[in-house]
Amino acid sequence: MTTIRHTLQQEVFQPNEERLLAACHVEKLYKKKKASFLCIVSNTKPPLTISLIQIKQSEKTYKRKRSWNLVELKSVDGKNVLADNLEFDLHLDKLYRWVASSAQERQLFIITLWRQSSKYFLKEKPVFKNVPETWIREDVLTPENKFISSPILTLENDITEDFKAITDKEQEDLSSLMANCEFAISNAEAFMEVLARDLSLLDGENVQYLLASEAKVESLMNLLESAVDEADKIEQRLDEYDEILCHVKETMEKMEKKNSMISTVNKNNILLLKELEIIIKQLDLPRKFQDILDDADLTNTQGLKQAIEAGNALRDAMNCQLDPALLRMSAVQEQRKKFEKYKDKFSRAICRQLNNLFIHYGNHKGESDRNTEGLVLPQHSMVHKELIPYTELMHWIKIMDRKASEALKKVYTDSLGKLYDRDVHNLFEAAKEKIAPLGQVSTPTRNLALLGLDREQWTLEVISDDRQRYEIIIEQVLTQLEPVCLQEQQFCVTFFQLDILSPTSKNTQTTLDGMGAEVNVLPSKKAEKQVHEEVRNMMTSLFSCLEEELLSFIGYIEKYDPFHCMYVLVHLNQHVMSAQSSFLSNTLASVLIHMKRTLDRFMQLQIDSIKDCKIARKSKCGILPYVLNLEEFAKLADVLLKSDRRIDLEKWYIRLVDTMIEFINVHANEHHKTPPQVIKMENYHYLYSLLSQLKISVLDNQRKEAKQKYNEALAAYVTHYFGRPLEKLNIFFEGVQAKVASGVKASEISYQLAFSKQELRKVISQYPGSTVKKGLESLYKKVEKHLSEEGLVQVVWRAMQEEFIRQYKMLEDLIQQCYPGSMIALEFTIDDILNFFSDIARSH
Amino acid sequence: MSKKPTSQPALHKVIMVGSGGVGKSALTLQFMYDEFVEDYEPTKADSYRKKILLDGEEVQIDILDTAGQEDYAAIRDNYFRSGEGFLCIFSITEEESFQATQDFREQILRVKNDENIPFLLVGNKCDLEDKRKVSFQEASERAKQWGVTYVETSAKTREHVDKVFYDLMREIRARKMEENKTSNGKGKDKNKRKKLKCTIL
Repeated sequence: MTTIRHTLQQEVFQPNEERLLAACHVEKLYKKKKASFLCIVSNTKPPLTISLIQIKQSEKTYKRKRSWNLVELKSVDGKNVLADNLEFDLHLDKLYRWVASSAQERQLFIITLWRQSSKYFLKEKPVFKNVPETWIREDVLTPENKFISSPILTLENDITEDFKAITDKEQEDLSSLMANCEFAISNAEAFMEVLARDLSLLDGENVQYLLASEAKVESLMNLLESAVDEADKIEQRLDEYDEILCHVKETMEKMEKKNSMISTVNKNNILLLKELEIIIKQLDLPRKFQDILDDADLTNTQGLKQAIEAGNALRDAMNCQLDPALLRMSAVQEQRKKFEKYKDKFSRAICRQLNNLFIHYGNHKGESDRNTEGLVLPQHSMVHKELIPYTELMHWIKIMDRKASEALKKVYTDSLGKLYDRDVHNLFEAAKEKIAPLGQVSTPTRNLALLGLDREQWTLEVISDDRQRYEIIIEQVLTQLEPVCLQEQQFCVTFFQLDILSPTSKNTQTTLDGMGAEVNVLPSKKAEKQVHEEVRNMMTSLFSCLEEELLSFIGYIEKYDPFHCMYVLVHLNQHVMSAQSSFLSNTLASVLIHMKRTLDRFMQLQIDSIKDCKIARKSKCGILPYVLNLEEFAKLADVLLKSDRRIDLEKWYIRLVDTMIEFINVHANEHHKTPPQVIKMENYHYLYSLLSQLKISVLDNQRKEAKQKYNEALAAYVTHYFGRPLEKLNIFFEGVQAKVASGVKASEISYQLAFSKQELRKVISQYPGSTVKKGLESLYKKVEKHLSEEGLVQVVWRAMQEEFIRQYKMLEDLIQQCYPGSMIALEFTIDDILNFFSDIARSH
Repeated sequence: MSKKPTSQPALHKVIMVGSGGVGKSALTLQFMYDEFVEDYEPTKADSYRKKILLDGEEVQIDILDTAGQEDYAAIRDNYFRSGEGFLCIFSITEEESFQATQDFREQILRVKNDENIPFLLVGNKCDLEDKRKVSFQEASERAKQWGVTYVETSAKTREHVDKVFYDLMREIRARKMEENKTSNGKGKDKNKRKKLKCTIL
């Protein structure tokens, strides 16, 4: 850079008698690579002007590109006060934005600019913005600040010494001086003389002053010296103090350390004490409790209360939460052994007492005496009431001594189980007695009530009053079971804590049973299931004979009433739904399933009996027994059909009636006298009518089917039996129709040998009115003989009359068609027929 | 469950007569099964049987529901003959059906040859009051003239349905008891006795 300056000065400015003050290598902002030099230049000859000149370098030569007078400069914007910033703006005739190539150059350039402008423009200085303040101070280039030493600067300093602009004050002083010597301008010599005289005067004065001050300086020096001595002394003393203080500091530090150690020890002691207190508090068992545990009196309420209190205290002590490490303390171990002893003793005492009580209550009579009317299952709430005070002890045992608790539970179920066995047995025996005195059931023959058997063969000895009685008895029995079971279940759950799977509080460390310490937490659903299971197990062992007795009782009813499954099912179902005791509900449900199977067997038996039905060898078949019996059956089954379990029956009903419809058809062919159509007609008619009356909705299809089969059978019977009275005529004309069908013209039939007029006359002559009448009469008699129900006789006869008239008309028509003009006609008229009908009607 | 029925309950045979579409079957079905069938399907002949309690006595009613339209009246002779009591039905909304009762009455009397045969004149469809063509007065007068009771019924609303059947059965029962008295000792079987009587007449 220095070389470039030099070159610039030499080549560009020297020839013009100009001097370079500062130069800066710049580029235009945003237009890189157009490098040029901004120079601050002053001319060497007055009048002094400072210019800003932009020099462009091309090849090795430098050219002036633009130049401004410094006066034109309005503002300088440094953009940023940071030293390493390279940008700056100059506002001249317009705004020029530059980027310097080095921070140093920029700084120097701006400083120079400021100095020049502050030096030469007294009035309108350009504004300097965003420029470090140190750059634009008067002393900016004083030796301390001058970190740049450049030849140009020194050069510049010389110049400024030569050319010092006169300041305003100097100007004023000068002018006032001139004014004092009015002659100054007119007589310069005189003026100079005055001035020289003044000067020498002042010089002399100055020297005098200088000499006078020497003595003063000397005394001042002395004073200073003594002051220094004093200061030295003070310093020495301070050093001594300092030494002393150092000692003190060391001592203090040592003391501090000791202090903190003491407080730690103290804290530890307090903690230890606290811990010990806790342990002792937890493991301490008051003397009073120890005595009680030693010799527990569980027979009276006072003793019991104390025992419970003591037991709880022991439990709390044994179950307290201690740090495992503390358990190793021999004192703790010892205390625990002591507890263990108390526990064993106390637990034995409880077991003894409860055992005695359980066995004692095993002989309990129950509250209600047996001589009351009706069936009663005695309740044992007294037992429960008396055991309730022991509940807490039982819970205690459960937590503290699982084995003992299980054993107690077993004793309870055994002894109370016996009690309940007896009660339940008595109840059912009484119930059986009520159904029929036991001795009377000497004939073990089962009552038969099968659809397939004749009603006469039903050995059903039960009348509906009896059945109502049975229903009441079974309802009573079931009702009796409910409260007893519920009460017992509730008692067991609370007394034995069956609703809690794991003991309430864990006795992990202190009990030495070594039972699985951590009971893994079961998911609630599973846990619930297990609780149910436990309750059910206990109840099952308490009421072990219940299901068996109930089944035997139902079996007993069955002997008297095979239809028992209908109402027993209904009552059981109601009780399964309403039973609050989960055990009873389950037991009844399993009996219910048993009953459902009984029903299924019973219904299957009915269906089989339909299939095996034997047709009575009577002259008239009439209504088949199973069709006849269906009405009674439906009456007996109604109770089930109206209950919640109707679906069980409906399913069977459909099968039953389907079987009937199927087997009416089969059995119709088995009677030796009555024609099958009649059997079908009568039975389907009866079945249809019955189903219409019963209105069992699931059998609607069967009802429609029966009606259809009835109509089919009726039509079959009427047409089949109808051929008889005019058989030969029918045969003759069937032949005629066959001929016509084979292509012979109707009018030419009479030329056929077999169907000549002669032949026709012969056939017709065989049916005079009297014969026809006889034929109709015998037909009517036959119909009457076949049919068992008079209503249907009328229906059939009406259909036959209609059919006969239809056939008569058909024959007449055929004669008209095939034998026109032959004057041949049947020997009886329609009026004759109607008269025959009326005569037949009148004849019976 | 009762033991084997020792004796069959008394059987009363009722015949439903009247023109087509007056509601004979509707009345019968309503009485038998408590149902009302809207669809009209002409009947040829249907027989129904039901056990009921008549004034505390178990009886069996045998109903023969007959065809309203018949090509030849003589066809009816046979079942008229078998009937013990008649419900002669017309529709109060149809004048012709009322007129036809006259013919039915005559035929029944002729066949049964009995002026006092149990017989009820029944005006059905009384729920259709706004379509009434036969006045109560008119029908009552005819009944009075015949010496029978006139009842209006509705098979649809079941009004008086039971009443006509029960009233008729009471008449039949009274009639049979009367006959038993007059011919006591001649035989317990009513049918046989009746048959005998018929031949005499």
